[in-house]
Amino acid sequence: MNFEHLQKAWQSQDTNAKVTIDADVLLKEVRRNQQQFRATIFWRDVREVGVAAFLTWLFLHWAIRDREWSLYLLSLACFGVGIFMPADRWLQRKKRAAANAPVLSCVEDSLIQVNHQIWLLKNVFWWYLLPIQLGLGAVICSQFWQARHAGMAVILGLMGYALFCGLLCWGVYHLNQLAVRKSLEPRRQELEALLASLK
Amino acid sequence: MSAQDQEATFRRWLGEHIGLMLKVVRGCAASPQDQDDLFQDVLLQIWSSIPAFRGEAKETTWIYRVAFNTALAWQRGERRRRERHELFVKFGESPQAQPSHLDAPPEQEIVERLYAAIRQLPKVDASLALMHLDGLSYQEMAEVIGISENYIGVKLNRIRKHLADQLKGAINEL
Repeated sequence: MNFEHLQKAWQSQDTNAKVTIDADVLLKEVRRNQQQFRATIFWRDVREVGVAAFLTWLFLHWAIRDREWSLYLLSLACFGVGIFMPADRWLQRKKRAAANAPVLSCVEDSLIQVNHQIWLLKNVFWWYLLPIQLGLGAVICSQFWQARHAGMAVILGLMGYALFCGLLCWGVYHLNQLAVRKSLEPRRQELEALLASLK
Repeated sequence: MSAQDQEATFRRWLGEHIGLMLKVVRGCAASPQDQDDLFQDVLLQIWSSIPAFRGEAKETTWIYRVAFNTALAWQRGERRRRERHELFVKFGESPQAQPSHLDAPPEQEIVERLYAAIRQLPKVDASLALMHLDGLSYQEMAEVIGISENYIGVKLNRIRKHLADQLKGAINEL
């Protein structure tokens, strides 16, 4: 049997006979999926921006109320991080190839996206953890200074808080690096192999 | 494009090209659950792509592109993102096609073996094999994939040989 026979057998298959489709149900489901997808994206953005906006407002409010310079810094850090994430996502979304682009373009685009994601997570310290930690560090230093005569218990409490912030930072950093190793690097390798097979 | 036009185009494509979509899905996913999952993704992408369709490309080229791009991005076994209320498509039992002559193996069995052999190919080769079996020209395949016709020719030579080798043993068994 040669390839032409295989092709003939292939083209003789009646795919429609094997499926039962209710176009109305299908359409309803596609619409529901699209709405669900849009809602997921929308609420993720709202969550991220909302939390950052709330924290910015909260620390700013406290900074003004208490005339505390370190809280201004923390508020600024929250604002910066809150702006950076959606702005970066928006810029990347604008660059994305359409779903109907040739396969080669889509693979190249996916590789760019994955590489960018890897870059983001590998540098999470610089754009996320460092600004927040600088803000928190300033608040802790300021509290230390103000509590220098308040006794050992308060100082120990602040040191515990500083240690907790440091550990949290370390945990977040390693969680991001784990995501790179377990999920993004394999995807990058897969896409590079795909791209190599297209060139 | 109005929502009504989008819906009308989607319904028409569903009627005319559902076979094409299902072939891509079956060529890229093995289990019924994966097929259903991928099929949902393909339909969603096709639905979303319709407003951008201006008729500059052939409908089949457009649908192949969207379907392959979705299939290449889709990862088997990934967490189901959507809560599913109803199954999109009910895959029935494969009807046994009548053999063209008494000594020939049942064609449906050959097709099933072909799907299995295609799923073993690298993803891009699987895409080319599906289009080639459907009888697309080199030019059409080049438009879908975005590589030169010459390169497609080189790849198809290898794919044809691979499929024939894979199927030779299987057909002898039948």
